[in-house]
Amino acid sequence: MPLTRYGYRNAINGFFEFPSENARRILPRGIEPVEVHHGMSVFAATVFDFHESEVGEYGEVVYAVLVPPYVEEDGRLAKGAFFPWQVATTTGAAREHAIERWHLPHWMEDVRVDFEPGESSLTARVHAEGSVAMELTITDHSWNPVSHLYQSFQQDEGGRYLANIIFEGEQSEHEEETGRITLHDHVFNKDVVISEVYRAPFREMWMRDGIQLFDPLLRLEP
Amino acid sequence: MKAAHTNEAEKPAFTEYDYSNFYYGAGDDPLNLLKPFESWYRDARPNGYYLYMEALASAPTTRVRVRDGKTGEWRDLINMASYNYLGISYRPEVKRAAHEALDRYGLGASGSPILSGTFDVHEELAGELARFKDKEACLLFPTGYSANVGFISSLMRSGDTILLDQYSHASIVDGAILAKSKTVFFRHNNPLDLERKLSGVKGKKLVVVEGVYSMDGDVCALPEIVEVAKRHGARILIDEAHSTFLFGPNGRGVAEHFGLDKEVDFHLGTFSKSLGGQGGFVCGAKDLVDYSNAFARSRFFSCNLSPVLTAGLLAGLRIARDEPELRAKLWSNVAFLRRRFAEEGIDIGKSTSQVMPVMVNNDSKVFAVAEKIQQRGLFLNPVTYPAVPKHRSRLRISVSAAHSEQELESAVQTIGGVLREEGICR
Repeated sequence: MPLTRYGYRNAINGFFEFPSENARRILPRGIEPVEVHHGMSVFAATVFDFHESEVGEYGEVVYAVLVPPYVEEDGRLAKGAFFPWQVATTTGAAREHAIERWHLPHWMEDVRVDFEPGESSLTARVHAEGSVAMELTITDHSWNPVSHLYQSFQQDEGGRYLANIIFEGEQSEHEEETGRITLHDHVFNKDVVISEVYRAPFREMWMRDGIQLFDPLLRLEP
Repeated sequence: MKAAHTNEAEKPAFTEYDYSNFYYGAGDDPLNLLKPFESWYRDARPNGYYLYMEALASAPTTRVRVRDGKTGEWRDLINMASYNYLGISYRPEVKRAAHEALDRYGLGASGSPILSGTFDVHEELAGELARFKDKEACLLFPTGYSANVGFISSLMRSGDTILLDQYSHASIVDGAILAKSKTVFFRHNNPLDLERKLSGVKGKKLVVVEGVYSMDGDVCALPEIVEVAKRHGARILIDEAHSTFLFGPNGRGVAEHFGLDKEVDFHLGTFSKSLGGQGGFVCGAKDLVDYSNAFARSRFFSCNLSPVLTAGLLAGLRIARDEPELRAKLWSNVAFLRRRFAEEGIDIGKSTSQVMPVMVNNDSKVFAVAEKIQQRGLFLNPVTYPAVPKHRSRLRISVSAAHSEQELESAVQTIGGVLREEGICR
């Protein structure tokens, strides 16, 4: 099968500390969270502004827990691995595509994503069911061209899957704790204890003018 | 289960990865990570990681003989890397005491402290240290690491809460893990965040801070932290690894410096920093020490400190106690170096102590900078992610009372010259 390609104008991502107890409630049995400190795992919030895909332009919001990457002796080592447990898109076509192709768990209504550029920051405001659910601000640092492999683990009633994804493009990454997330009291955020998510990201990434290349999905042993 | 394009991808540059990438890995074999790590390390070591674990062939005085990790050649360098803050470990009195102990006791303790491993010299050191710290009693540990691990886990239990500064030393974190208590991290030196994290916490609570933080050289905001902790009914532990014998009117540490010696519940420290030896201790009330002696497994189940080392530490303690001019000289050296770094436009971050991070703030350049500096005659260590946040890479230097002004000036000239060449300072 050919690679699947997505082009994005911007993708912003924050790593937020939250209790491992919360992470374990989200993860299926057999998948452990990566701990940044003892007892503290990583809630990763990512917002994409795609301008190129098989289903046209769309926005996407991904809530994920950082998990250990799958390591093979001769394989390329992933920079990181995620278990996305909530993915929301701005169009129905994008949602259907991601469910069919990637078995991604979905928020089943369209969301609205507004991007608001600042002087050296980008804010994404996510509206779901008519009200603001989440605001994510990521700030920039030095920009470098990168090509990084990430892994995404998925699970649904049909089985467990792994997607290998290459991110290529310009990237700014830092740990200045200058970004911010606001999780509103909203059903969109029902799986996290909002008061226990640290509001400043310990790491923030901003990728722009890049592409995502997905390998064909791999089915994992049960 | 190979994937198409990732399988054929060229091997990424070693700079794409660091130690943190090899900590976790999914799969069935615990050895899965060895080959990827080895493959990365083969590239990483000659490109800068060789600057770690370079062997020394002389005492850690202000001049050391170091074997170049890349070429294998021995070189004589000005030492800005060793702790030994008071220059005590190689003093004649210390060496003589250790020699005499070797003649008297032989090499080691040959037993756990609870059984056959306690000698008269251990009791003497514990007693004199307790008096120095103005506490009822003192318990010795084989290392500073084991003091934190053992003491914290001897006191706290499952269901209790331990609140740690986010930059806590690994030994403190490991103590909390061994205690099986709920561990909550508060933002570095941030009493407001501690307040937020303490709110609503029920049951037994312990707040752990360090007198001086080892990567930034900043001093604990102890008055504010004590105020918050007391208000919430939490006990307070201070690890004075980098501050005992240096801070306070009598050299007892940062707690004494702030006049909070009595407000802090538990005082821990190490002999490897200011005394340049090895071992750790906790000082406090007699009943506390008795209890910890019974439940600190890292002490209970370890061989006791060697009597040879202990005798040297006792001599070192007496020097630190009886020669306050050493502290005065250290702070004079620190002031000199701070002033000269400022004049040269060299950034030392938030340091207000003898631990100074020379900020490079460039993860891809820090090893090349450290290599150049070492080639020009200065021994120091680069520190980069994950030991410090991304883009906060630095060269960590330790000031000693034994440094001469000429040696410090030479360090300033060498560091400043290289940083300017690399475009890191003006």
